[in-house]
Amino acid sequence: MKHLLYLHGRAARQALRTLLRQPLGSLLSLFMLAVAISLPLGLYLTVASLASWSNGLAASPQITLFMELNADRADVETVNQTLKQHALVHSHRFVSKESALKDLMARNGLAEVTDGLAGNPLPDAFIVSPKDTEPEALERLQKELSGLPMVETSQFDAGWARKLHSLLTLGHQLTILLGAALGIALVLASSNTIRLQILARRNEIEVSKLIGATDGFIRRPFMYFAVFQGMLAALVAWGLSAWLIATANPAVAELAALYNNHATLRQLAPEEVAALLLGVATLAALGARLATGHVLREMEPS
Amino acid sequence: MIQFDNVTKRYPGGIDALKNLSFKVEKGEMVFLAGHSGAGKSTLLRLVAGIDRATSGTVLVNNQNLGKLGGTQLSFMRQHIGLVFQDHKILFDRSVFDNVMLPLDIIGFEPREAAKRVRAALDKVGLLDREKSNPIRLSGGEQQRLCIARAVVHRPSILLADEPTGNLDRDYAHDIMELFRSFNQVGVTVLVSAHDEMLMHTYGRRIIRLAQGHLTP
Repeated sequence: MKHLLYLHGRAARQALRTLLRQPLGSLLSLFMLAVAISLPLGLYLTVASLASWSNGLAASPQITLFMELNADRADVETVNQTLKQHALVHSHRFVSKESALKDLMARNGLAEVTDGLAGNPLPDAFIVSPKDTEPEALERLQKELSGLPMVETSQFDAGWARKLHSLLTLGHQLTILLGAALGIALVLASSNTIRLQILARRNEIEVSKLIGATDGFIRRPFMYFAVFQGMLAALVAWGLSAWLIATANPAVAELAALYNNHATLRQLAPEEVAALLLGVATLAALGARLATGHVLREMEPS
Repeated sequence: MIQFDNVTKRYPGGIDALKNLSFKVEKGEMVFLAGHSGAGKSTLLRLVAGIDRATSGTVLVNNQNLGKLGGTQLSFMRQHIGLVFQDHKILFDRSVFDNVMLPLDIIGFEPREAAKRVRAALDKVGLLDREKSNPIRLSGGEQQRLCIARAVVHRPSILLADEPTGNLDRDYAHDIMELFRSFNQVGVTVLVSAHDEMLMHTYGRRIIRLAQGHLTP
C-alpha cells in the first residue's frame, strides 16, 4: 500500500515536471481549452442569476382589481367579503381612490398636474395575493375575479412571466447542450494530447513493458498529466468567467435600474468551483485512459 | 525453474515457430540455446519471458503457469527476469545511468539505494566511467554491456539473453560470456542463445539445439 502510494507520488511529480516543461504551443492549447470551458460557464452563470432573480419576482405574484369609478361603499364591501371568503385567495388589501391619489402625488412629483384635475380620476382597487402561484391557476383566478360585480378590470401579466420562464428553460437547455458538447470535446482533446505524448515516448513505453512495467505504471504519469492540465484549464476558465461577469455587471445593473429593479450576475459558488474542477478532471482522465488503453492493447502478448 | 511441456507456438499466418517442445532448465543452471536463424530460439525466449503466449502446451517459470497469468501478473513475473535483447533496446533520450535505472524505477526502488545498485551494475560490466554519456556514443560492444547491466541491476533470478554475441568479434564475445558465467556463479539461472557452437563448447555447459521448432540432438 505504502509502495503504491510512493509509485503514485512519483508518477504525479513526473507529470508535473512534464507540464512545467511544456513549450509555448501547449500553453496556448491549454488557454484555448480554458476559453472553451468558460463559454458554457458564463452562460450557466447568466441563466442561474436570471432564474434566481425571476424567482424573486414571481415569489409573490399579485392580481390587481380595479373597481368601476362610480362604485360606492356597499359595492366595495361586497367584493371585500367575497375575497375574504374565497378559497384561493391568500390575502388581500384595499387601496382607496383617495390614498391612491395621495400616493401618486407624493411619488412622482405630479402635484401640479393633479391639482389641475377637477376630481379624482383614480378608481378604488384591491391587491390580491393568491394561494396558488402556478401561472395557469393565476390566470383562472384572475378571470373569475374580473367577473365580480362592479369590478371594472383586473391586471395580471401572466404572459410576461411565462415568456421569461420559457426563455430561462431554453437558456438552461442550451447550457446543458453546450456543456455536453464541450465535455465530449474535452475528452477528445485530452486523448489527443496524451496520444501525441505517447507517440513521443513510444520506445520508452515499449522497453518498460518488456522489462516488467505494469499497465498501471505506464498509464499513471499520463493520467496525472491529463488531470493536472484539465484542472489548470478549469481554473483559468473560472478566472475568465469571473472577469466576464465582473465586466458585465455594471451594464446589467444599469439595465435593471431602468425597470426600477436591482439585479446582478452572480459568481461561481465554492461548491460549484469544486464540481467544475472535479468534472473537468474526470473528463480529462477519461480521455487519457482512452489514449493509453489503445496503445497498451497493441502491446499485449499475443 | 523453466519447464516446457508440449509447447507449440503458431504465429498469425500459420507458421509454427515451435512444435511440441518439451524441456527443463533447473534452478541455477546455465544453458545455451543453439540453432540457425529462424530455428525458434527467439520465440522460445519470448515465451519464457511472457512476451508471447504459447498456442498450446504449458510454460512453467518459477512454478507459475504463464498461460494462466493475467497481464499485470505477467508484468510482475517479468520483474524477476533479466532480459538481454538482440537489438539492445537502449533508450537514446537519456544517459547510460538512466537507462540502467529504468528497471529499478519500475519496481519502485528508493532513489538512493537505486543509484548504488546502478553504479554496481555499471561497474560490473565496465561502464562506470561512462555513466553520464549518451548511449549513442558507445560502441556496439559497449551498448551490449549496457543492455546487460540493465538486465541484472534488479538482481533477477533468471537471465535470458537473445544472441548477445551476434555482432561482436571473438574476444568481445568471450568477455560477454564470461559476464554471464559470473552471474551464474552467484546463483542466477542463465539461458543464452547463440549460433557460434565453438564459443559454447568452450564453456562445457548443456546445449539445447533447435531446428525448425524441434529439439535436435
